[in-house]
Amino acid sequence: MDIFLQQLLNALSLGGTYALLALGLAVVFSIIGLINFAHGELMTVTGYAVCFALIWGLPFPLAVIAGLAVAMTAAFLMERVAFRPVRGASGTTLLLTSFAVSAILRVLFQNLISARPIPVAIPASLSGVVTIGPLHLGMIQLISIIVTLAMLLGLNLFLHRTMAGRAMRAAAEDFAVLRLMGLRANSVVATAFAISGLLAGVAGVLWVAQRGSVDPLMGALPVLKAFIAAIIGGLGSLSGAVAGGFLLGFIEVILQAYLPESLLPYRDAFAILLVIAVLLFRPQGLLARKTLVKL
Amino acid sequence: MKKSKLLLLSTAFVALASAPLMAEDLVIGLATAQTGGLAPYDQPNLAGLQMKIEEINAAGGIAGKFPIKTIIKDTRSDSAQTAMVAQELVDAGAQLIITPCDADPSIAAGMITQGAGIPAISFCATTPTLPLAVGDYMFSNYPADNVQAAMLAAHAIEAGYKTAYILTSPDTAYTLKLPQYFGQVFAAKGGSILGEGTFTMGQQDFGAEVTKIAAMDPKPDVIMTSAYEPDFPAFVRQLRGAGVTTPILGSDGIDSPTTFGLGDLVEGVVFSTAGHATAGSPLEAFNAKWREKTGAAPDTIYIANGYDLGNIIEAAVTAADSLDPAAIREGIANLENLQGVTGPITYKGTNGMPLRSVSLVRIKAGDRDLVIQGQPDPADIPAP
Amino acid sequence: MTMPDDSLLSIEGLTVSYGAVEAVRGIDLTVRRGEIVTLLGANGAGKSSTLNALVGLAPRKAKRMVFAGTDLTGLPPETIVRRGMTLVPEGRRVFSSLTVEENLMLGGAKHAARGNPAQVKADMLERFPILAERLHQKAGSLSGGEQQMLAIGRALMSSPDLLLLDEPSLGLAPQVVDRIFDLIGNLRDRGLTILLVEQNVAQSLEIADRGYVLANGRVELQGSAEALRSSPEIQDAYLGA
Repeated sequence: MDIFLQQLLNALSLGGTYALLALGLAVVFSIIGLINFAHGELMTVTGYAVCFALIWGLPFPLAVIAGLAVAMTAAFLMERVAFRPVRGASGTTLLLTSFAVSAILRVLFQNLISARPIPVAIPASLSGVVTIGPLHLGMIQLISIIVTLAMLLGLNLFLHRTMAGRAMRAAAEDFAVLRLMGLRANSVVATAFAISGLLAGVAGVLWVAQRGSVDPLMGALPVLKAFIAAIIGGLGSLSGAVAGGFLLGFIEVILQAYLPESLLPYRDAFAILLVIAVLLFRPQGLLARKTLVKL
Repeated sequence: MKKSKLLLLSTAFVALASAPLMAEDLVIGLATAQTGGLAPYDQPNLAGLQMKIEEINAAGGIAGKFPIKTIIKDTRSDSAQTAMVAQELVDAGAQLIITPCDADPSIAAGMITQGAGIPAISFCATTPTLPLAVGDYMFSNYPADNVQAAMLAAHAIEAGYKTAYILTSPDTAYTLKLPQYFGQVFAAKGGSILGEGTFTMGQQDFGAEVTKIAAMDPKPDVIMTSAYEPDFPAFVRQLRGAGVTTPILGSDGIDSPTTFGLGDLVEGVVFSTAGHATAGSPLEAFNAKWREKTGAAPDTIYIANGYDLGNIIEAAVTAADSLDPAAIREGIANLENLQGVTGPITYKGTNGMPLRSVSLVRIKAGDRDLVIQGQPDPADIPAP
Repeated sequence: MTMPDDSLLSIEGLTVSYGAVEAVRGIDLTVRRGEIVTLLGANGAGKSSTLNALVGLAPRKAKRMVFAGTDLTGLPPETIVRRGMTLVPEGRRVFSSLTVEENLMLGGAKHAARGNPAQVKADMLERFPILAERLHQKAGSLSGGEQQMLAIGRALMSSPDLLLLDEPSLGLAPQVVDRIFDLIGNLRDRGLTILLVEQNVAQSLEIADRGYVLANGRVELQGSAEALRSSPEIQDAYLGA
């Protein structure tokens, strides 16, 4: 029983990170129909920013804040430079643009920074263990869970209690009509990218804290997981992205925990099979929203 | 190279026939990953090799008469691209080809070079089956997985460990086979393997795996894994985070600044590596030379490893006293006890995976503490 | 065509094309302050495209396109709305996952900088008591008629000078349709200018001052509501005389 509880906690920690990532994709997709595969590179940018801020001698909390600021700025610039010129183009064009942004950034990181991972000095205090009754939790795992829940709560408040948040929700439903409310399309899209950048930044800091280094390709796998999670949840649905993230984390952890040893190498295959099963019953994802014709 | 000669060189066979006639430059074709997942390994190896080549050319070429000319092409860490690049290099008249630091693209390139009769050396592939898969013109430039595993297993028995748990990932031959070789040798020497866990590379989540290890009864005496960045740091963090203090054995993939930046988490971890700079060793001298040239200490052993590849080429061509690819192949295959900066290197009597010295290093207060250096007992090395 | 001084909106040679398809092929249109002008015509005649083009939601070209002294050429929808012209789109398109109150707040978003949103909202709830009752419900849970009230209310929150209405009676029960038309008349009586697209020709011509009949993207007929009502074309095609 204790072991099962422990595994649930593990699932919560992993699923939370996936949820943050999927949410970052969904925030943008829901508004302009773009699956931003360069989302992973926003995590990488955050990692480098934290890394260099620490090398400069900033204390860890300030370095994290600097990292988040850089992530938001990078997301904002990405929209301005790469995505705004193709806004309203077909989904394929948008997708290919995001692949291009991602590939260009990776090559730039490899050639301008280093192809090899750069260590990030994570404070020793983050390596501790927290014991809750029979359950053990690494400090970073615990922080992951707390930060994820805080981010979800914060984002929820933002979306429901502020005008910009309401505009984002409305834009996700019907962007054209939102413009009829006199709200500037560009600022709503820019807000969405900034939020997506913040989410990528938080996930990036958690990811880097876990691995202790930054490398040019580190964004590739997380963005793939985020994509799967977002699909499970129903692309474009924010709550769906969160649900999809937690479900994917849960599936992965439970399979890892309870598959017999001989089948363990096929864990990812089983996980994807379960995802396919979910999609067979809910082709639009768990919490699909009605898609509207966008003008 | 003159235009008329380039035309003549348009096929590998013509290249073979004409290269010895025009013998002047040794043309080395480098199919290396400058971008993508293998770049972190190929780039430092290339930098080390280039340093050696500059030295050779400054001295008038190998044995004073064979200056080296390089053709470098990016494989983008893609096997199909590597094969294409290898073909281009063969067509361009390379007499020796260097392939990326991984078995898969090296096999892809080897299919071309073997057929063309041109020797190929992988920067640092560790899979012992690599030359078996390609043929007698394929070599690697790094201690093989089974050699590292034998050293680690001998150490584990020596340290008094009776039981072990291995953690593998089926994603690469290295992360899967090295711990399994370790298990074979450990069991053959009287130890017992309590279990084998797996992970997905790059996932960074070991929560479920660690929970299983923490619940094991009895606990293993030691955990062996070939996980490296980013998996190894995440694994250690989560393992220690779950209150498990079992000692850990690792392999050369974790010989990186990141590992040493993990502080108390990795205290006492023992890992195998291709070189350790003891006082007065050639490696120490190399590191000093590198620091003088670039202003920074080498951050990975792959730089010295690349430099040693230059030593191998120099010795093989000197022995061959010819730029004929077949003679160069002979030269490599007969190298015995070549003193490289990482230690002695022997190809004679092997299938193309060199016998090289392996160092076991213990992490102590963020620094390296040499446990043992040398080559394992050949009887201990498991068949590939 | 001469432009009367009191024209609020005056358009010349408006075309709307979606790729190779020309939905509107050069129409002239004038709306004077305080009028209800109705656009009539069969499905696909270009009525909705015209409205969407006016607010900048459809790709458009025009020789001249002036609203309240402002040249609309090249302006995005948000700017046009801020200048005082807004559209209640076909099919209502309320933000269904947002509450009634949030829909209204977004409608008044342009007041965030100027004006008095609280006063406007109070007026709105007085006019639409049903919305006051449902203030905290999701807009998607309202009935069709209620959603139409909300869509109109939301548009009015921006205090427009000219309101474009696209098929406000579509899919509603007859008694609800009557209420919508009453409301449109009321709005005009309170000084609002309205450009109305409707399938319900009889009722539209009853409240309208003037009308245009579109066919295949061109103006086929225009005139006072009275004249149109008695024209044989309208009688034959729509009023079934």
